[in-house]
Amino acid sequence: MSVKLTEGAIEAFTKGSEVPPNPLLQVVNVRKIDGGSGPARFRLMMSDGLYTMSSFMLSTSLNGMAEQNTMAPNCICLVKKNVTNTLKDGRRVVIILDMEVVKSAEEVGEKIGEPTPYVEGQSKTTAPPAPVAQPLQPRNMSDAPGNRGPSRDFGRKAMPNLPSTPGGASKVVPIASLNPYQSKWTIRARITNKSGIRTWSNSRGDGKLFSMEIVDETGEIRVTAFNQEVDKFFSLIEAGKVYYISKGTLKIANKQYTSVKNDYEMTMNGETTVIPCDDAQDVPMVQCDFVSIADLETRDKDAILDVIGVCKSVDEVSKITTKNNREVSKRAINLMDASGKMVTVTLWGDEAEKFDGSGQPVLAIKGARLSDFGGRSLSALFSSTVMINPDIPEAYKLRGWYDKEGHALDGQSVTEMKGGGGGGGGNSNWKMLSDVKSEHLGHGEKADYFSAVATIVYLRKENCLYQACPTQDCNKKVVDQHNGMFRCEKCDREFPNFKYRLILSANIADCGDNQWVTCFQESAEAILGQDADYLGKLRESSEASFDEVFQQANFNTYNFRIRVKLETYNDESRIKGTVMDVHPVDHREYSRRLISSIRKLEAQ
Amino acid sequence: MASIYESPKTRINTSMLSQYISRPVCFVGRLQKLHPSGKSFTLLDGENNAASVELNDPVNEELSGIVEVIGMVSNKATVMASAYTAYREDKEKPFDLELYNESLKIIHDFPQYYPFEVSASG
Repeated sequence: MSVKLTEGAIEAFTKGSEVPPNPLLQVVNVRKIDGGSGPARFRLMMSDGLYTMSSFMLSTSLNGMAEQNTMAPNCICLVKKNVTNTLKDGRRVVIILDMEVVKSAEEVGEKIGEPTPYVEGQSKTTAPPAPVAQPLQPRNMSDAPGNRGPSRDFGRKAMPNLPSTPGGASKVVPIASLNPYQSKWTIRARITNKSGIRTWSNSRGDGKLFSMEIVDETGEIRVTAFNQEVDKFFSLIEAGKVYYISKGTLKIANKQYTSVKNDYEMTMNGETTVIPCDDAQDVPMVQCDFVSIADLETRDKDAILDVIGVCKSVDEVSKITTKNNREVSKRAINLMDASGKMVTVTLWGDEAEKFDGSGQPVLAIKGARLSDFGGRSLSALFSSTVMINPDIPEAYKLRGWYDKEGHALDGQSVTEMKGGGGGGGGNSNWKMLSDVKSEHLGHGEKADYFSAVATIVYLRKENCLYQACPTQDCNKKVVDQHNGMFRCEKCDREFPNFKYRLILSANIADCGDNQWVTCFQESAEAILGQDADYLGKLRESSEASFDEVFQQANFNTYNFRIRVKLETYNDESRIKGTVMDVHPVDHREYSRRLISSIRKLEAQ
Repeated sequence: MASIYESPKTRINTSMLSQYISRPVCFVGRLQKLHPSGKSFTLLDGENNAASVELNDPVNEELSGIVEVIGMVSNKATVMASAYTAYREDKEKPFDLELYNESLKIIHDFPQYYPFEVSASG
């Protein structure tokens, strides 16, 4: 046998003293512990040639090794990453987080040396006559966290070398070792994502909750707090900080709602304590497993994954009304990574409103959902963490790449790959006006959106202004009471004043066709070059100057963003076009898009 | 031959000069060097290739930036300028010579769609 086990490792594990790095140990025995509803755990007896210890637990992520028999008794393993966990009676459990089989059981064939269980205070001084030329130390065993039921370990108490808890109620254990069968533990973890407070109301009553994701060097877990615990902890807990958390309730995680890689999730209860931890350098920040944007096309729809990219462009925030009549803000952004591909990510709610894409920040999103809407796109969920210019190596690498070369790339978008020939990336869906008819845009269940470069050929002056309720956010037309007062039906109030609002019908044309569109306030003001209030006063004072404004606005060319939808009035259906956005044409960008469209057509 | 002003002038870049000898062209490039005599200068096209431009009368103004020249291509593949004009400098939206060059290639790749630009002059 040419393999030398790391003698002394077992003694060190047992005593809690410093274990030689990456010890080489032999597996003596593997025992499967069925985990009820949870995954099975494997408990190992390991030998360093001198002593054995039976309280090694395999992290569930390594279960495959035991299940596929790559790790069978007699094999020799290199323990790369482990954590020691001291139970309250002092026994220790070593959780193996990463391990490699360096010599298979068949190759080794036998037990090396004559190891005996380690008993504290005793120490073998003579080397066993085995092929191994080193003294052995027995290992003791302690109960591993994944273990249920009373332990039958013979480990001795030894002082933990893990950070102790303030208050000293229980010892700090790794997140990877948490399970529903042990209640007295403390973890030291960083809050990587904290939700806002959500409330619910159903037949059983009202309530509120918030959730967060926490991480330590061994893993992550999702934590939820309800009602009283929300009041108690919500204001105390800050995302990004490290806390000692003890005594939560653990249950099997519902993977449907979370991307957190843990079989369990935690619910805070009345006994839960949360104490800030100051000395937390070593607790890792968010753990992300970034997927390259180019690889998104190979992933399944609805997969929850992490991406990082440079925010190449940002759409304006817009509001949509959900099925249950709630108004939600959304904003689409285009992310590009070093694969040179782009993807459209939708942010929602607060995140959408507050997002500032200026300066093209690096954006990391943990737990975004992949959708197959328009090729491939991503949606940041309530449970997603959106980090702007995060302090992680991937972000710096990407920034460096982007500043050096990436900024010059056009970036092909994996979103909206359909309807080829459109050219250009992004979420724009460029069309000629003739396409609107030939492709029957707007005839579907949902409205269609497209962008077009077109020229104003006619503006309808008549009825382009109306008198609206002066209340902010209420743009309802008011009724002139002819007594100096104006009545708003919606607000059920009368006002001595009103504000002018624009609703402008315009005919726009490109080389192939034309289209009637309606422009509301902002887009109409952009086209007319004057604000609604000024126009209203101008119409009252000087009809000629008012007409002049419309003359001036004719024959200007813009980038239009248009929504089309088939609408039916009095049995007559027609496509209604609404201008969502209007911008001056960026001729460089426009030329580039035309050139790339021509080249694409050529290649076909 | 009709005056150069009346015939179509094909837009070309440096690499196309040799195919347009004795034909009227329009050349747009960035001024690289003005000869001390003022009677010739070189322009860099969107591919950074230099072309020589010769004038009948010396340049009597300051010339810089993007310059458009119309003229005949000589046997030596230089442009004998009939007229030239410097484009207005726009700091915010500088003339994109590379993009111009890409458009120019489109014109030449699809002569069926750009008959006036490419058709040989009379």
